Amino acid sequence: MSGPVCGAAVTALVAGGFALGFRLDDLHNGLLAVAFTAVGLYVVWQRPANREAWLFVATGVAQAAMFAARQYGLHRPALPASSWIGWLGVWPLPLVFVLIAVTLMSFPTGRLPSRRWRAVVGALAVLGVALAAMSALWPVEYDRVPLAAPHPLHLPGATAATAIHPIAMGVGYPVFQLIWVMCAIWRLVRAEGDESRQLRWFVCAVAATGAVMAVGLIGWGTPVPGLLAAPLVPVAAGAAILKYRLYDIDPLINATLVWGAMAAVVTLGYAVIVVAVGSLIGGSGTLLALLATALVAVAFEPLRRRAQRVADRIVYGRRATPYETLSRLSAQLTGPSSGLLDGLCATVADGTGARQVVLWKGPADELHAVSAWPAARPGEVRTLDELTLGGRAVPVTHGGRTVGALAVTTGARGSLTSQERGLLADVAAQAGLVLELRASAQRLVAAGDEARRRLERDLHDGAQQRLVTVAMELGALAKAANGATAFADRAEAARQQLLQATAELRETARGLHPAVLTQDGLEAALGYLADRSAVPVRLHIAVDRRLAPAVEATAYFVVSEGLTNAAKHAGARITTVTAELTPRGLLLEVGDDGAGGAQARPGSGLEGLTDRLAALDARLIVDSGPGGTQLRTVIPCG
Amino acid sequence: MLADDAVLFREGLARILTEMGFDVTGQYADGDTLVANVRDNPPDVAVLDLRMPPGFADEGIAAARAIRAAAPSVGLMLLSQYVEVHHALRLMTEFDGGVGYLLKDRVSDLNVLGAELRNVAIGGTVIDPDLVVRLVTRRREDDPLGRLTDRERAVLALMARGHSNTAIATDLYLAVKTVEAHVTSIFTKLDLAPGDREHRRVLAVLRFLRA
Repeated sequence: MSGPVCGAAVTALVAGGFALGFRLDDLHNGLLAVAFTAVGLYVVWQRPANREAWLFVATGVAQAAMFAARQYGLHRPALPASSWIGWLGVWPLPLVFVLIAVTLMSFPTGRLPSRRWRAVVGALAVLGVALAAMSALWPVEYDRVPLAAPHPLHLPGATAATAIHPIAMGVGYPVFQLIWVMCAIWRLVRAEGDESRQLRWFVCAVAATGAVMAVGLIGWGTPVPGLLAAPLVPVAAGAAILKYRLYDIDPLINATLVWGAMAAVVTLGYAVIVVAVGSLIGGSGTLLALLATALVAVAFEPLRRRAQRVADRIVYGRRATPYETLSRLSAQLTGPSSGLLDGLCATVADGTGARQVVLWKGPADELHAVSAWPAARPGEVRTLDELTLGGRAVPVTHGGRTVGALAVTTGARGSLTSQERGLLADVAAQAGLVLELRASAQRLVAAGDEARRRLERDLHDGAQQRLVTVAMELGALAKAANGATAFADRAEAARQQLLQATAELRETARGLHPAVLTQDGLEAALGYLADRSAVPVRLHIAVDRRLAPAVEATAYFVVSEGLTNAAKHAGARITTVTAELTPRGLLLEVGDDGAGGAQARPGSGLEGLTDRLAALDARLIVDSGPGGTQLRTVIPCG
Repeated sequence: MLADDAVLFREGLARILTEMGFDVTGQYADGDTLVANVRDNPPDVAVLDLRMPPGFADEGIAAARAIRAAAPSVGLMLLSQYVEVHHALRLMTEFDGGVGYLLKDRVSDLNVLGAELRNVAIGGTVIDPDLVVRLVTRRREDDPLGRLTDRERAVLALMARGHSNTAIATDLYLAVKTVEAHVTSIFTKLDLAPGDREHRRVLAVLRFLRA
């Protein structure tokens, strides 16, 4: 049976039941039917495969059928076929109890916590069937339910049944309720994370129902208070869903809160104006009604906005609405570009309530995690097919080419809702552009570095070697000009000038790309910088392996710039350089005790560094004040 | 015997050394070939470029190590395009005498070149003056040289270049006795026992700096 049919049937049965009159002792069945069906159908709509939702619907339908039949049987004077229809509203009660128990024991996964619980369910079923059979054959429940028509069957043994039934019921009904409570507590003890939080709500309601039932039975010998308390349980399940995002029921509840509040305000406002003002001035009629309508209309929109804000806070809590998520993302995209990928993942996590969000990068058959929320990044290589299996990831494309994937882990709650999938697709589209921009910036930096390195190499192998050789020749000339002092002096002077030129050329080459960095690594190169610094350097390096050339070169230039600024502009007395390999990447700190005032002005060295670092998804933090300047960055380096 | 991958420089150096009266027994483009030839025909000194094929990293030092193992009597002269403190320190710590480290620029001063080659050949230690200056002016915060006064640092710089106390006194316009006092003070501050030969003291300073 499909969802809409169930919905229509339950609506018809419950509406029909209420049309036959209001009865306190049958109210709980109607409430339970509506609560279970509404929650179940909404979840089914979002996730057709969810088992727990179907259990909710089944419970709702059974309740609705029983409610309608009972209402029919309770109607006075007796309606046609009242005896049999009313009978249908009485005896299935124990079976419905068992169904409710199973539904609640399966919350929130739709499955029993373990195989051993099947035996418990079996025992419950036997008890339920026995009680139902007794009630179907003999009018044992008819004392409690004042039906208009008598029991349709007149079988022998009614006296015995009437004697046994109260005892069986006194044991059975509390047992049905106790079993859910035990099962829920058992689940709660073993659950972790979101499921545990969902269950806490649920267990409170279950325990309360159990308590009310117990008090009712012990104090007054009636289960009615306990039965009336039972709708608490689906309501609590709804609250758990709402608060911990189990099934994205949030927007519906949000709207219900807002429009419910507004309906109350309008009715109340209208009533107050028409009745109160009407009685005060003794007038009535069209004019007053028009005035009331106008006032309500004027007040409506501001009140609705306020109600919306309150409802948002109640329903969503800290969770961002989809619209907020997208606008936050565009703020990320237009803001300082660094940390962008992490921001992207956090944005998705915000919008979907996911437990983990990972951005993968690379061709479809070889994806590496480049960013994750929370920070821990998976190290393995995956393929697109593996990730998109089960609809928990969407491919990230650019220009029709797969450049990565955006994957979310939702934990206990199953697959994503259609709305969340839409959000994921929107963010993935932006991510494609971001990944491509970043890759192109990285390619530019790498190409620039490579060109500089080649230039340095050419200078070293070509011009420098030649100049040194010529200087050697001049030295030989000076030596050969034995006695000819003027000649020897000129040759020597020329040699000195040539050496000066060589020294200058060497500095230029080093500025282009330090050979020591390429060949000996970051530690040697930073030591080299420290040795040349005009301001004393306190150097702390903990980098035990070679890093990507772009990372090493960038780190070198950061330290070089920091030391140059400290000496040239800040008049510092001491500088501190830290380079440390951390799980997040290469941590770099260059601090001095100078005059401060450093900032990344357009065209400055710091701005160049900021761009360089941004290409590596790192951010330069410049903290400059009267106490000195500190440059700080963490360069991700896989 | 020479090893350098820069042909022009290597051949120029070979010619000039020959003109100066040295006997160049072999020229090679990389360290391995030179090492292979050192065993059969050990020269007085092997002149090695610090960075050579294949990696252009520190092949010169690797070759020097192989030569020292194969023929301990061969003096080792490393030439470098840049002043690289970490390489020089490694060289000085690893080899006990008979080793030198010069900038390629220095080679064009033929008197220095000749003298230092002979120095290395007889087991001496040669450090490029620029390197010494770099070490002495090195401004690490934990630098023991930070304890020295400017004057003492100047004396140490000259001393490290192989100047005698008398020469230092002349250069700095000081009395010889004053220089001696400075030298004693330097050794005290650097926790070095006095009495070693001067290049030994430089070595000690280098080792101390490395620690």
